Formats: sequence, C-alpha cells, structure tokens
Amino acid sequence: MINVKNLTKIYKIYRKTGNLINDIFFRKYEDVLALDKVSFTIDDNELVGFIGPNGAGKTTTLKILSGILYPTSGKVSVLGFSPFEKREAFLKQISFVMGQRNQLIWDLPAIDTFLLNKAIYEINDLKFKKNLQKLTTILSAEKLIQKPVKMLSLGERMKMEFIAALLHQPKIVFLDEPTIGLDIFSQEAIRNFIKSYQKEFQATIILTSHYLEDVKRLAKRLIIINKGKILYDGSLVSIFQKFSQVKYVSLILEKEIKKEALLKIGQLINYQFPKAVFRIQKKFLPKVIGYINNKIDYLDLVIEDEKIEEVIKNLLSDHK
Amino acid sequence: MLKKIKRNLKIFLLFSYQSLKNTTQSRQALFLFTLAKILRFVLLFGLIFLIFSKTNNILGWSLKQVIILYLTFNFIDTFSQVLYREVYRFRPLVISGNLDLILIKPYHPFLRVLIGGVDFLDFLLLIPYFFLLLFFILKENILFLSFFWYLILVVNGLIITTAFHIFVLSFGLLTTEVDNAIMIYRDILNLGRFPVEIYQQTISFVLTFIIPIGVMITFPVKSLFNFLSFKNILFAFFIAFFLLSLSIYFWQIGLKKYQSAGG
Repeated sequence: MINVKNLTKIYKIYRKTGNLINDIFFRKYEDVLALDKVSFTIDDNELVGFIGPNGAGKTTTLKILSGILYPTSGKVSVLGFSPFEKREAFLKQISFVMGQRNQLIWDLPAIDTFLLNKAIYEINDLKFKKNLQKLTTILSAEKLIQKPVKMLSLGERMKMEFIAALLHQPKIVFLDEPTIGLDIFSQEAIRNFIKSYQKEFQATIILTSHYLEDVKRLAKRLIIINKGKILYDGSLVSIFQKFSQVKYVSLILEKEIKKEALLKIGQLINYQFPKAVFRIQKKFLPKVIGYINNKIDYLDLVIEDEKIEEVIKNLLSDHK
Repeated sequence: MLKKIKRNLKIFLLFSYQSLKNTTQSRQALFLFTLAKILRFVLLFGLIFLIFSKTNNILGWSLKQVIILYLTFNFIDTFSQVLYREVYRFRPLVISGNLDLILIKPYHPFLRVLIGGVDFLDFLLLIPYFFLLLFFILKENILFLSFFWYLILVVNGLIITTAFHIFVLSFGLLTTEVDNAIMIYRDILNLGRFPVEIYQQTISFVLTFIIPIGVMITFPVKSLFNFLSFKNILFAFFIAFFLLSLSIYFWQIGLKKYQSAGG
C-alpha cells in the first residue's frame, strides 16, 4: 500500500548573517537534511505511529506521502500512485488531519464545510448521510455541526476537523499531532475515535504525536525517526526486547528493612516502607529474584518493563 | 471531460455561495464598502470630464473614446477583482500552513486559491460598468466586426490578468510574499486607465511589450475604433498565451519548491 525507498528531502534555508547589506545582496542558503534515505513499507489496515523529537522528519514524511511536498530523491508509492503527481484518483483515497491546521470555514457552521467536501469528493447522498451520522455518533457531536466554527472549543473543532477529513471514507489517513493542545478528556475522545474509526472503516492510519500515550494506545507498529533517519521500525512489544536493558522490580515488604540491606539487591529507585522499587539490569534479573526469595521477607513482588518513554528517550539520546 | 467541467463548476459555485454568506455577515461593512467603491468611480469619472473641459482630445483620443477606454479598464479590473479576490488572501494560507490541506484536495488548487472567493461587493459594481459601457459603445457608429474583435480582446485582456494573478500566487509559494507583489501589479495596472500613448515613448513601449497593460486595455478599445492592425491583434493573442503558459509553469515550479510551514 505504501512503499518508500531511499527517500531524501533537503530543505533550502536562508541563513541570516545579521548584516543587512549581506542579507539583502549576498544572501546565503544552507541545505538542511530533513530525511536521509528513509525506507519502509506499510500494509493495508495498519496503524503506524511515527515518533521522534521536533525536527526529526515525521511531518515531512507525511507531507511527502500525501503529495504536499516534492521529494529531493528516492521513490515513493502510495496506493500505486506517485503522490506529488496529485492524481484525483489518489487524492480521493487519502486524508490528512493536522492538529494545528484547519480546513473548516471559520465563520460558518461545520456542516457547510461538510457539504463542500461532499461535492469535492463526489460523495453520494446516501453515503454522505450514513457516514455523517456514523462519525457524529462516534464523536458524540450531533449538535455541534450546526454551530458556527468560531463558536466551538478547540476539542469540538478538532472533532469537526475529523468529520470533514473522513466523510469520504479515505483508505489512508495521515494524522499529524491530532491531539495537540487538547485537554485530557478531548484527547481521550479523539483516541477512542481513531480506534473505532479504524476498526469500522478498515483504514490505514499513520499517526505522529508528541504524546506517547496516543501511540501506545493506538499503534501496534512504531517507527522511531531522528535527524531524518529511521532508528527503529517494529512492534511496540519488540522495542523492549531490542532496546530495553532494564526491568523494574517492586517489592511490598513484610517488615521494615534498613536501606543499606536493600541496596545489596540492586539500584534502589524508591523506598517508602512497605514499598521498595529497584532498577535491575535484565541479565541479572534471575540472580536478583533468587536473592530476594532467599533473603527478603515480602508480601508481593512485581516485575515491570521500563516505561516506553524511557526506552525511546534512551534510544534517541544514543543517536544524538 | 464534460463531467469534470460540471463538477468544477459545482465546486466553484459552492465556494462562491460561501463567499456570499461570509460577505453578508456584516451589513454595515457591506454598505460602507459599496458606498466607497461608487464614490471612487464617480470621482474618476469627474476627473475625465474635468480634463476634457480644458481640451477636445488627448493625443487623438476623443472624450467618448477615453470614456469607453476608462470603462473598459474598470470592467477588466473589476472583473479580475471579483474573480481573483482570493489571491489577496493567499499569504495567510501559506503562512498558517492551511494551504497544505488545499493542495491535497482532489481538484485543481486554482479553484480555491485563485477563484475560490468571488467578491460580491465588486460584483455589484460590474453591473453599472457593463451597462454604461454598452450605452457608450451603442452611441458610437461601431462596425459589427470591430465590436467582435473588441469582445475577443477584452477576453484576451482577462487572460493576461489571470496570468498576472497566477504569477503572484507562484511568487507567494516561493517567498510567502503576496501583498507587495499584488500592489505592484495594481499600481502598474492603474497606468492603463488612460491610452498608453499619453505616456513617454519608453514607458508606452514597456506598457505594450514588457508589462502588457496596453494589450489588456488599450488594444481592445483601439480595435473597437479600427485603430488596431491585424498584426497587433495576433500579437495580443500571442502575449496572452505566452504569459498564461509561463505563469502556469512558474506555479508548477513553485509547487516543487514549496516547503510548507512547520516541516
């Protein structure tokens, strides 16, 4: 469905020197490598999360895949089309929701934008009615569509943006920071909506987000990108196997033990009787568990993975 | 093909309808803008009469001919403002990044960024311009063939103004600068209110061959009064075709170089 091979994008950026004369007459430009020979494939009905710090190349990738930007080099094929050619048949099968952009007509109710999109995407009356009803129901937004967009809250507006973008039932949906700036309730509503939408319409969704919670909750596959290069492409589960070197062991102690005795077990992260938390290197885990069983009286023992945020943070800092 | 034209027309009408809805949101603004535009028109008309109260002709152009030229200028200028108002709002689209969402819609982006915001305030002015123009032309003894060439060359002038607006959009894609570019175009266009012959020879040459304001406005009126050779008519067609092709080429280049806002 999506095939990307050796995709490179270089931006030409004007560099200010601070000297007015030089800046006007002898302007200097520098090349900024946004994507460096990136390759990946995405299949039907996948929900892939793109993760990376600011300027990593996530949004650039999505903009090239949707045909907004022209790639410097490399091959891109989406649904069998070359996106930048902007063929009508291609554009009718995709959609892009950007958290900080809007396609809604500001002064008019959202229904006006929906009707416009109905004509643009040539959606027949029956499908329009059915999809509008479905989407408004999932988003609990039946009453919002008649309100002028300028009167809606950010969360409500985002719901309308989603409806406008999905009315034509696109096969591929690009979501760029769809929950940015939203309160926790709206974030939750949008996440639930994305999940239900993919299930209901069998769409392929590519999601970028600064909120790892979005990706954790929605994506099974993760692509981590930094400085234009892909650092990881795989499942959420296997990222722990590959890159996580530690586990967290939590103990609920039966009786209070001196801190010095606990330090013999491993790196003590937190101790507040009755709970003690240790950070243990994976390779020492069996030994440590054996030691705890023999030497410590405890009521409960829990072994947890490192938080995904930490795994990714470590991965990114290793490639700084 | 016919289906595509029908669909594009439907989208254009929907954009226009929404533009009308936006325009009529504030009735006070609607009234004030219309009043200002009528006042501007009356004042300039007064200026022409004032000039001709001191002289009988300007470089061979009679009062009636200058009035027809002035009305032709207003018709072409207003028509382009009615149709291409959205060009004036292009910069915010580029800066905010909302242009991205237009570029991925399954229609030609010109439907939205060029003709997607018909200005109904100016449209109201087109009606009196049209009837005044017709009134003055009918008062003259005009041959049917001359009138035919006049109409064709007015359309040709509209094609040239379309090309200028596409140039401005392309420039906006590359530099995000639109306001100054459109103001330069408007300032130069204003030189076309009078026959290009009244300007110094060099300026007159530039306004005919380099920035063809003369071809847009003076040529149609000249053809109406049989002052224009067939060679010049062909030249006018060539200029329009050349500028339109070049502007579309620049737009394509602009799209390739477009960097979008925010990565």
